[in-house]
Amino acid sequence: MKNNQAIAEQTQNTKIDWDKIKSKVAYLQEALSGNDVVSHEDKHKILKIRAKSLSLQKTEYDSNQENINIIEFLLGTESYAFETEFVREVCLLNNFTPLPGLPDFVLGIINIRGQILSIVDINKLLNLPVKGLGELNKIIVIHNAKMEFGILADSILGTRSISINSIQTSYTSMPGTGAEYLKGVTSGHIIILDAAKILNDEKIIIRQDI
Amino acid sequence: MKYFTNLSTRAKLLFSFGFIWVMLLVIIVIAYQSLQNITQSEKYLFDVHSKIALELRQLRSHQNFNRAAILDMMLTKDKTEQAAIENIITDKGKDIADIIEKLAKLKTEQQFQNRLTELKSEIEAYRQTRSEEISLIQKGKLEEAQKVATNIQKNRFEKIRAISTEMGDNAEKDAEAQLTLDLQSANTAILIFVVFGIAALFFSIIIVIIMNRTIAQPLTEITKIAARIGKGDLNVEFSMVERQDEVGILLLTFSRMVDILKQMATAAQQIAAGNLTISVVPQSEKDLLGNAFSQMLNNLRRMTKDILEGVNLLGSSASEILAATTQVASGSAETATAITETTTTVEEVRQAAQLSNQKASRVSENAQQVSQVTQTGQKAVEETVSGMHEIQNQMEAVANTIIRLSEQSQQIGGIIASVTDVADQSNLLAVNASIEAAKAGEQGKGFAVVAQEIKSLAEQSKQATIQVRNILTDVQKATSAAVMATEQTSKAVENGVKQSTQAGKAIMELAESSGKAMEAASQIVASSQQQVVGMDQIGLAMKNINQAGTENAASMLQAEKAAKGLNELGHKLKELVEQYKI
Repeated sequence: MKNNQAIAEQTQNTKIDWDKIKSKVAYLQEALSGNDVVSHEDKHKILKIRAKSLSLQKTEYDSNQENINIIEFLLGTESYAFETEFVREVCLLNNFTPLPGLPDFVLGIINIRGQILSIVDINKLLNLPVKGLGELNKIIVIHNAKMEFGILADSILGTRSISINSIQTSYTSMPGTGAEYLKGVTSGHIIILDAAKILNDEKIIIRQDI
Repeated sequence: MKYFTNLSTRAKLLFSFGFIWVMLLVIIVIAYQSLQNITQSEKYLFDVHSKIALELRQLRSHQNFNRAAILDMMLTKDKTEQAAIENIITDKGKDIADIIEKLAKLKTEQQFQNRLTELKSEIEAYRQTRSEEISLIQKGKLEEAQKVATNIQKNRFEKIRAISTEMGDNAEKDAEAQLTLDLQSANTAILIFVVFGIAALFFSIIIVIIMNRTIAQPLTEITKIAARIGKGDLNVEFSMVERQDEVGILLLTFSRMVDILKQMATAAQQIAAGNLTISVVPQSEKDLLGNAFSQMLNNLRRMTKDILEGVNLLGSSASEILAATTQVASGSAETATAITETTTTVEEVRQAAQLSNQKASRVSENAQQVSQVTQTGQKAVEETVSGMHEIQNQMEAVANTIIRLSEQSQQIGGIIASVTDVADQSNLLAVNASIEAAKAGEQGKGFAVVAQEIKSLAEQSKQATIQVRNILTDVQKATSAAVMATEQTSKAVENGVKQSTQAGKAIMELAESSGKAMEAASQIVASSQQQVVGMDQIGLAMKNINQAGTENAASMLQAEKAAKGLNELGHKLKELVEQYKI
């Protein structure tokens, strides 16, 4: 009997207002069909809100300082950055071909618009502890006069310009032996890697001895 | 006298009687002799004289007869008759001859014999003449015959008669003389008798006196004593005379007997007084009284013991009976109370039965109602089930719609994915553009702005796609929720159907059970009515039991009284028996 009572109460509480639902459905249908359902003022309001949320933060532009442009990217849980002068481009990792007999920091090779580039995992190279699995589908192609290869990244955060002074060159918080490749850490806890060093590293060059 | 007294009674009697016998013998001898003489003479008289007279008379009669017969013969003319008569005459003649022979033998006196011969010759002559007569008669010469008869024959006849009469008279005379002689001798004999008789009498009297004194008197005394003893008076004294004859012995033994009896009497008195400790020794094996007494004592002792035991037993049994009767009396009182309780209980049960009867009839009514209700319930259940099926169908339709929604949202998801891709690539493009712009330096600043705009666009679209994805996720969640809800609804509907069917079954069962209940109710009604009847009967039985119980109580009281009486009796008996010391 109690169950019946509970069920009755439930049905009472959740008594469906079918008319309300029907009107809502009709409204949605209107909206989806492309007709203007929202008023002009409402539209404006919405757009403004969006614009605000998406607007860039005003950065402290100190013209006296020297700024460098860096590309920020996410790898694992840390956000790293390269100087833009060493970055050629960024692109998606579509299909890479693994090669046998390669050291573990080299994942394989990819074909970017007809060019064959090798892909390097920074974690393995810098002996950073791997924390979790990220997306690892972005390639940052770094180059200098001699060397050119791609670095795996989870996601590209974007380019920004930061002042040189804000870079702290303390090495203490960097685990692993990758500390030598560090250029510094920004105030926003972005670890700037020394692309030149990485590019000029002897380890990168792989002999063809298998 | 002493000597005589000391003789044994036999001797005395013998002596006395012997004396008398002697006297008697003498008398008898004398008498015998006299009688002998008399009888002899009598005999002689008779034999001779009387017989002679008789024979003579007989002769005369025969003669007469013959005479008459001859005359008869003369009268008749019948030959046969004559022949017959002739025969008779012949026979009579023979008789006469015989008589004469007898007479001849009887007396041998000469005179007599002479007379007899005379007679004989006369008779012979007569006979001859008679024969002639007969022949004359036979010839038919009657007149001649008659003549003969009346003359000669008559004379002869007369003579015969005279002779015979004379003989007879002589005989008589002789007889008379003899008789007188006899008479004389008889008288003498009588005289002798008398003398002797008197003597004998005298002596016998003396003897009687003596005997009386010696035998009869003591015996009478003894008889008296015996009579007194017979009456029970043992205080008798014997005049003890020293006699050695039977009487003396008798007196001795009697006195001994009296002593013994006195002993027995004392013993009996002791027994009467209650002292059974005495012992009686029988005088001999054949001492009836002594044996009987000793046996009696033994038996009495034994009996008294047995009685005592029995009385004890009686006493104990009586007390037991008394206890039992008191118990039963109390028990019957309890029974009475129990009966009253039972009666009240019976009444209560009766009422309860009536109540149950009422209730049962009400239940029956209710059951009928219930059956109707179950029918409506059954209908409702069927409707419910069909409604449930409707719901299920609708739920299926909803589920299909939801599935379609889900598919479409999946499609949207795909589109979103591609849009996201585009956004990503745009982003990358923007980054590349900014890099190029950075590389371009000053000239690239404008391009950097364009690149930045592209980036922001990309961001926007990404954001949008993210939002859309969120919404899609929500939609998916909602869809899955809806699917789950539908599933649950479907399950709920199934459950509902199940429950409805169960309800239906339950209703059916309810209907059945209510039907059974109705049956049962009607049975209860019947049985409770029976119960009521039974209770009435029990009530009646209880009354009867009560009555019986009261009667029982009354009889128990009587039994108690009787038991008490028995108990008292037992005590009395015990007292009585304990008087006897064993």
